[in-house]
Amino acid sequence: MEVPVRYSIKKTEKKTLAHWFYLMVLGRALDDRAPNYLKQAIGWSYHAPYAGHDGIQLAIGQIFDRSTDHLFPYYRDMLTCISAGLTAEEIILNGISKDTDVAGGGRHMSNHFAKPAWHIHNVSSCTGNHTLHATGLARGLKKYGKSGVAISSQGESSVSEGYVYEAINGATNEQLPVIFVFQDNGYGISVPKADQTANRKVADNFSGLKNLRIIHCNGKDVFDSMNAMTEAKDWVIKSQRPAIVQANCVRIHSHSNSDRHELYRDDYELNYVTEYDPLGKFRRLLIRYKRFTESELVKIEEKVRQEVKEAHKKAMAAPDPSPESVFEFIIPEPYQSKKYPEGLHSFEGPKKKLIEGLNETLKAEFRLNPDTYIWGQDIAHKEKGGIFNVTKNMQKEFGMERVFNAPIAEDFIVGTANGMSRLNKKIRLVIEGAEFADYFWPATEQFVEATHEFWRTKGQFSPNITIRLASGGYIGGGLYHSQTIEGVLTTFPGVRIVYPSFADDAAGLLRTSIRSEGLTMFLEPKFLYNAPVAATPIPEDFEVPFGKARIRRPGKDLSVITYGNTTHMCLEAAETIARETGADVEVIDLRSLSPLDKNTIMNSVKKTGKAMVVHEDKVFGGFGGELAAVIAGEVFEYLDGPVKRIGSTNTPVGFNRILEKAILPNTDKILKAMKDLLDY
Amino acid sequence: MSKIALCYSYNTNKTSLAAKKIAEEFGKGNVELVNAESITPGQFLSFQNYILGVPTWFDGELPNYWDEFIPALEDLDLKGKKVALFGNGDQKGYPENFVDGIGIMADILEKCGAQIVGYTSADGYTFDSSKALSGNMFKGLALDFENQGKQVSQKIKDWVKQLKTEFKTKAGRPKSRKKQ
Repeated sequence: MEVPVRYSIKKTEKKTLAHWFYLMVLGRALDDRAPNYLKQAIGWSYHAPYAGHDGIQLAIGQIFDRSTDHLFPYYRDMLTCISAGLTAEEIILNGISKDTDVAGGGRHMSNHFAKPAWHIHNVSSCTGNHTLHATGLARGLKKYGKSGVAISSQGESSVSEGYVYEAINGATNEQLPVIFVFQDNGYGISVPKADQTANRKVADNFSGLKNLRIIHCNGKDVFDSMNAMTEAKDWVIKSQRPAIVQANCVRIHSHSNSDRHELYRDDYELNYVTEYDPLGKFRRLLIRYKRFTESELVKIEEKVRQEVKEAHKKAMAAPDPSPESVFEFIIPEPYQSKKYPEGLHSFEGPKKKLIEGLNETLKAEFRLNPDTYIWGQDIAHKEKGGIFNVTKNMQKEFGMERVFNAPIAEDFIVGTANGMSRLNKKIRLVIEGAEFADYFWPATEQFVEATHEFWRTKGQFSPNITIRLASGGYIGGGLYHSQTIEGVLTTFPGVRIVYPSFADDAAGLLRTSIRSEGLTMFLEPKFLYNAPVAATPIPEDFEVPFGKARIRRPGKDLSVITYGNTTHMCLEAAETIARETGADVEVIDLRSLSPLDKNTIMNSVKKTGKAMVVHEDKVFGGFGGELAAVIAGEVFEYLDGPVKRIGSTNTPVGFNRILEKAILPNTDKILKAMKDLLDY
Repeated sequence: MSKIALCYSYNTNKTSLAAKKIAEEFGKGNVELVNAESITPGQFLSFQNYILGVPTWFDGELPNYWDEFIPALEDLDLKGKKVALFGNGDQKGYPENFVDGIGIMADILEKCGAQIVGYTSADGYTFDSSKALSGNMFKGLALDFENQGKQVSQKIKDWVKQLKTEFKTKAGRPKSRKKQ
């Protein structure tokens, strides 16, 4: 399919050419000036020069319409962002990491230009992972009938990342309005593209995908790039299908200021790429075809010099971020429950199973809020609703637009949620991050990314997502079906981690999660889905705030802090001890691991003088280590014994039931530990 | 046979080398060397027969000096003029775009009414694809200094011999377009 020639040196209006030349000269002035800030120890310690990508970057910015489109630039996209509207001052503020940097107040690495308020998104250094966000955002555009496009930009080497395939595969399958731009300068830092993939033009790797148009252009040439990007946008909007634009560029300088390209590029190559300097070419064309006189161009260049000088002065005078601000914008304030501020109730209706609590809460929230969506593997097909039927009948009631399956690609499931939630703050997404919690690892990269967003953008964007994971063992599932992963997840700020043990708490926490802004990991002990022991009466509007533990059994002799499956074992052991010895054990069900209800824990330990931490995860490196450290650090003087920890052995969870029993904690092990500690 | 313009960039190494060999084969006084870096439409139109040196840059692009002349070239009426193209490529390093420059330039010239002469067989080359291909023929002489350096002189000799005939024949589909 031919790309129509809309722009050329002879036909394009002089005013437009002048604007382009101005932007390109401005960009290059800043690109060339950036290393000086590092030399003077002012900042901009990471700078990836864009020189050689001028044509395509100008074009990306020019076709971007901030009133309708969404742009995901990568760390080399300085001119893209200038062309999209960022000022010289905004570029320098980002470069030298000032508090007034519009990308995020100096919190993110320099040269990561963004302006979330204009839909120029603040993206990761984890190169190419924003392709998933662009796909997710395009899903939102389509679902809400918006007219714009999502534009994702990246270097050609980052296409080697598996999640880029996931993003493009998903965009073609869902037929989404997204443009993926590959800026091909031939290198991933020092790695030549021949070491990345067999095709020299990596876009051709995707030629077998249905519903996809691939456009190649000369990224060094302004007109070819403008024609390619204009055609890509028109086609994507008209056909509501994705396109790839592969732009052949050159990298005139090193990858960044920490790289020395003369160590791997010879003089011949360096001369060769310098000879095709896109700005030089454009300038020559303007003169050769008599569109501008030399003095007209010099005047524009002089205007740029003045502009950069003034921008520099203003940026240097701008405030730096304060040390006190580090605790701002870690995670948004959650939904506040007026009726259940402590997450407690005295409802005495019929008992419902934990799985019913989840299913009914999901449905109730979906009825209440039309901007709710759920997807995941196996989530909806005919009578099926998730691998454990938690979402049973949801697709039937809410339709395929809001309840739908995802491909077997965990990173895609999480990354597209991050992207879609950028469309507007009303949207609330619930996703099954993986079939089983232990399959969540491929999504960890997007999980980490999502935990950064609110802080990194200085509160400008929060992924409003509840990630549900069927967790834990006692089902004879073995590796990848019986493990629990909160030990890792709780090490990250920027996410709430909840792990209910009972049906009412599961329902209440889920309601709070869906109503809150921010990211919540909702860990469901799958062994308890249908277990009578976890069934409770559930008020139909029940809400459990984050960071509120629940004392499931009051006591005065020993504090047991637990959550999930082991809560029930601890309760059983406490009753046994009470019967056998008369000792009175207090059992605290944390419900939320992050935020943590320290008050309830400390008050209990102060009262009993003895503390035991019990969880299903491994003792070594498990969340219990943090609990024990907090107790030892804050109420040491009240302790009459060591803080005891019970959990699984430092091994994977075996499949054979004999192995599983030997590995996971159980009531007997807990009972013995309680007795030991009580006797201490 | 009127004087032939042998047009190439004087800043190049391999293309210049090939151009000088071509000039030698034609003999003194039969070709006029023209620097593609500074060529103007008027200068271009003053010839009837041309040999253009068009190497392929990057992944299948024209060199900037030709690229920048194209907007002017596209406006020229080249009816009745004959153009032969030679270009360097690297069939191992860039097999997807082997001598694409020849094909890109040939298409532009044909749109302007010029007749492309000097087709050569693609036999003996190994590559994936090329815009210079028409059937099993290149729309010019494909030179690969990197991988077939020893064959360059002979290929030029044979090609010049062929061109001497083709530049003399009346405008029309050259016989050499068929597989040799």
